[in-house]
Amino acid sequence: MSDANQVNNSSDKVASLMKEAESLKQKLEEERQKLNDVTLSTIAERLEMISYINIKPRRILKGHQAKVLCSDWSPDKRHIVSSSQDGKLIIWDAFSTNKEHALTMPATWVMSCSYSTSGNAVACGGLDNKVTVYPITSEEDISSRKKTVGTHTSYMSCCVFPNSDQQILTGSGDSTCALWDVESGQLLQSFHGHSGDVMAINPAPNEVGNTFVSGSCDKMAFIWDMRTSHVVQSFEGHQSDINSVKFHPSGDAIATGSDDSTCRLFDLRADKEVATYSKESIIFGVNSVDFSVSGRLLFAGYNDYTVNVWDTLKSQRVCLLYGHENKVSCLQVSPDGCALSTGSWDFTLRIWA
Amino acid sequence: MDIFANNLQQQRAVTEQLRREAAIQRMPVTQAVSDIIKYVTDHEQEDCLLVGFSSQKVNPFREKSTCSIL
Repeated sequence: MSDANQVNNSSDKVASLMKEAESLKQKLEEERQKLNDVTLSTIAERLEMISYINIKPRRILKGHQAKVLCSDWSPDKRHIVSSSQDGKLIIWDAFSTNKEHALTMPATWVMSCSYSTSGNAVACGGLDNKVTVYPITSEEDISSRKKTVGTHTSYMSCCVFPNSDQQILTGSGDSTCALWDVESGQLLQSFHGHSGDVMAINPAPNEVGNTFVSGSCDKMAFIWDMRTSHVVQSFEGHQSDINSVKFHPSGDAIATGSDDSTCRLFDLRADKEVATYSKESIIFGVNSVDFSVSGRLLFAGYNDYTVNVWDTLKSQRVCLLYGHENKVSCLQVSPDGCALSTGSWDFTLRIWA
Repeated sequence: MDIFANNLQQQRAVTEQLRREAAIQRMPVTQAVSDIIKYVTDHEQEDCLLVGFSSQKVNPFREKSTCSIL
């Protein structure tokens, strides 16, 4: 076959695949609309309003010399690891506010940090494009035992241990996610599909633990099968970058937070968006979201320095948490659901309970 | 040539993903959200940030008592 023929042949194939894709998209939309018989807030009308929430600022963690970019609770519900633009990683005792370890990374902008499932190691990375794991021991200098596990071709925006200390899942500005073996540093699976920077990932809470969600600057949230590396479901609707994604504790829905100043709830089994959390007065982007343990509350950290607390079922704002003096970059409910940690560009972390 | 092959490969991946998504089972929104509401109401009593603590003593982050035993 001549080159010209091959080109023709291949562009014919592309055209027919594109045509099929268009008709599939249309069919998907029709199917979703067919089952769209009621809204979540209509069904939730019978529920009582949340009249009063008693969440107060309890601790301030001071020690970072620059913007706090990420934080994660230890499974012991007491320690917190945080990472900062200053290139530091700090392990805090949140009860006493003491710093137990401070590690200096080779590069600034440590965009993500995460405790391992056992709590015996932390992973972090950022503008260095790498994910590095530090075992936590009683030794003075734990940085001598660091291990570089994986490298992306652009910044690493998020990392998490999905099921055990043996594997780590990362998301990157190179628009991929990757699953690494911690011991060997081997790339176990790579996840291609996003057409923009991956900003956030979150593994499903179910015991089986074979899926995770990712959110991207391509405005999409994807549900991935970790075994096949395929996208199982995709959700669109946001008008701008998705900065945060989190599974509902039931495992049947995900929440997203976006630069378009809204948070949304997508139901996996109905395969569509079921709620939007927004107000006309809220015009700033959302950097981080997390659910309370029952899933009734959604905490969202905004660029206007506030945390909004949403009633996920009635789609109403319950209250606002004021305190930070700059953008709220990260937040997380503690594993037992008793406290909320927030991190900010004001260099501090705060604990609310 | 490579750019055409690349294009084809990319479009094939997109179409295959849509085929998989089109094949999944969906349930009506009524049922899906009723299950979410049920999960939430079943777990609301364990949700300290929602219902508060039975006593501030069980709040691990309560303010430290100002009086101390001398």
